Amino acid sequence: MLRKAKPYHFGIFILPALALMAVFVMYPTLRTVFLSFVAEDGSLTLSNYAEVLRSRDIFNPGGYEGDFPFGALIHNALWIAIHLPITTFLGLFLAVFLRNVKGGGIVKSFIFLGMVMPMIVGGIMIRFMFDGSVGVVNMALGFFGFPTQTWTAYPETALFSLIFGSVWLWAGFSMILYSAGLETIPNMYYEAARIDGASRIKMFLKITVPLLKPITVVVVTMTLLWELKIFDIVYVATMGGPGGTSNVLALQMYLYAFREWDPGKAAVVAVLITLFTLLAAIPLIRSAGDEAE
Amino acid sequence: MKRALFLISVLVFATLILAGSITVIGPWSGEEEESFKPVLQAFEEKTGISVNYRINRAEDLAPVLPAQFAARRAPGDVIFMWADFIPANPEHAVELSGVVDTELYEPATLRSVMVGDELYGTAYTAKPKPGFWYRKSFFEEHGLSEPETWDEFVALLDEIKGIPGIRRPIASGNGVGWPLSDITEHFLITFGGPELQNDLIEGNISWESHIVRRPMEKLAGLLEVGYFSEPTEWTTILEQWWKGDYALYFMGFWIIGMVDDPDDLGVFTLPGARGVVSSVDYAFVPKYADNVEGAKKFVEFISSVEGQSVQVAQGGHFATVAGVPEDAYPLADREVARSIEGLEPVRDLDDTIGGAWQPAFWDQLKLLWVRPGRLDSVLEELEARMP
Repeated sequence: MLRKAKPYHFGIFILPALALMAVFVMYPTLRTVFLSFVAEDGSLTLSNYAEVLRSRDIFNPGGYEGDFPFGALIHNALWIAIHLPITTFLGLFLAVFLRNVKGGGIVKSFIFLGMVMPMIVGGIMIRFMFDGSVGVVNMALGFFGFPTQTWTAYPETALFSLIFGSVWLWAGFSMILYSAGLETIPNMYYEAARIDGASRIKMFLKITVPLLKPITVVVVTMTLLWELKIFDIVYVATMGGPGGTSNVLALQMYLYAFREWDPGKAAVVAVLITLFTLLAAIPLIRSAGDEAE
Repeated sequence: MKRALFLISVLVFATLILAGSITVIGPWSGEEEESFKPVLQAFEEKTGISVNYRINRAEDLAPVLPAQFAARRAPGDVIFMWADFIPANPEHAVELSGVVDTELYEPATLRSVMVGDELYGTAYTAKPKPGFWYRKSFFEEHGLSEPETWDEFVALLDEIKGIPGIRRPIASGNGVGWPLSDITEHFLITFGGPELQNDLIEGNISWESHIVRRPMEKLAGLLEVGYFSEPTEWTTILEQWWKGDYALYFMGFWIIGMVDDPDDLGVFTLPGARGVVSSVDYAFVPKYADNVEGAKKFVEFISSVEGQSVQVAQGGHFATVAGVPEDAYPLADREVARSIEGLEPVRDLDDTIGGAWQPAFWDQLKLLWVRPGRLDSVLEELEARMP
């Protein structure tokens, strides 16, 4: 005979998870926020925030005579502005295009390899892809008669090389999610549209895109989060250089923490990344809530 | 009873085995690691203590060690690390006064790992960075000779530039950035003297002063004309240089152990140089090492004539202790040593300053290499980031 659960049963079962969350998530988070307000002498202060936000490593909108570096914050924003639409649309295009192609599954597996690979290895591969003498990018450019160079070595191209190089690492993620989403759309919608004389483009725009909206929210949110915390690729490919022209927030946090030994400034960058991440995650949380309703 | 005796003997044996091994952490991999292995073997044969060697660069250890030390743990028994890290962490290091025979050293060599009168690290071998290396066969084939003056140096670069198949006269090695800093330091020492390098290390002179600007402008001028290659991973470009894509390569003494035919190597300093950078590898024993006594024995060995003789015999190293016989060095090393005879050994600029400034220095040089026109902003950044 089943007994009715008492309120304390609920507590017993949730306690281990709560304890783990408290030790490994909440305490480090709160401690980081606290650290961001602690000065070197141990007093509470806002000077860490002032120093970080005034630093040219973080925010340098004028750049060097209008050229890179513009500061890690703007570099991250550029990463989002370029990488997010490309990976989202490329993933959608590949998912739709490869859906009914013979051998599409195998092609998808190859594309997804970029996601399976550790990002640190991906970063090394990007470095070699854009290398002046052995890079595949230069081989292609050279074939068409364009000049070749080590693209990650120049201030004007270093950041863009990393952004475009990372597209193949992340496009597999959106492609797989969209592929799964496509399977959930009933075929009858397309059949009805075909009977009504709708073109392929119209069916794509009026049926596929709207019905994939929940997937798009997930893809955009997850990609945004990835772009905000991007570190490993930059660390191994350029170390933020040359001259800080490909620096990003997470790398700057690392430099503050482990090169300058300044936990306060590192904590400020961590708090900023967390705030941006929360802002990006809100649509995902709302979308999940809507679906539950 | 028999079972108990067996268990006890197993425990005793296991304890002996554990007590008889140490973990040494160093930055050398590939051919540099191969050249370090005979030293480890010699130590094992002498002491019966087995050595487990692990590769970890100082840049990778720097973020890890403070956290490990705070937890009273250490990743190894002997750790090769930046000189400035060791005296900054004496509370986590074993004092080595009495273990290292300081009488064998020039006092200045050990000063950077001392706190007051107490010694917390040891100096292993030194690797001078003498200048521009070239293949003798290449110079003979094209009728080139070592320059005696700055004008001859520039003329040599011009001549090399005109040789078919040459991409650029000078190969620029890159990694995290240190090969570029070695070239830069050589220019600073040549045109500003060893005292300029020392003043920069001590923070006695501004990076934006005209005394610093002069050598930097000389370097930027050569970069502007295109005598240097793009910064390329240093072992990759080493092969390309050896193959003949480039004629000159600025590198440290260790290059001798990295080429197929060391007898084909020639080297010259920039005309007028009065000093060369000589970088010393430093090691320390963390307090939380599993086998402190074994680690001390290792430190004693690598700080002895016997230990350093084994290392210099592999090529590419100079002993830091007195008493290593000349015939312990390979012939090629002796020849190179003669070429820098009389030059003052100078401390490595970025290794000595260390901290956050070091990667900033490397990063700014990477920028200078491809955009020499930005010299002003590079010098401004270097000055602003000085500790």
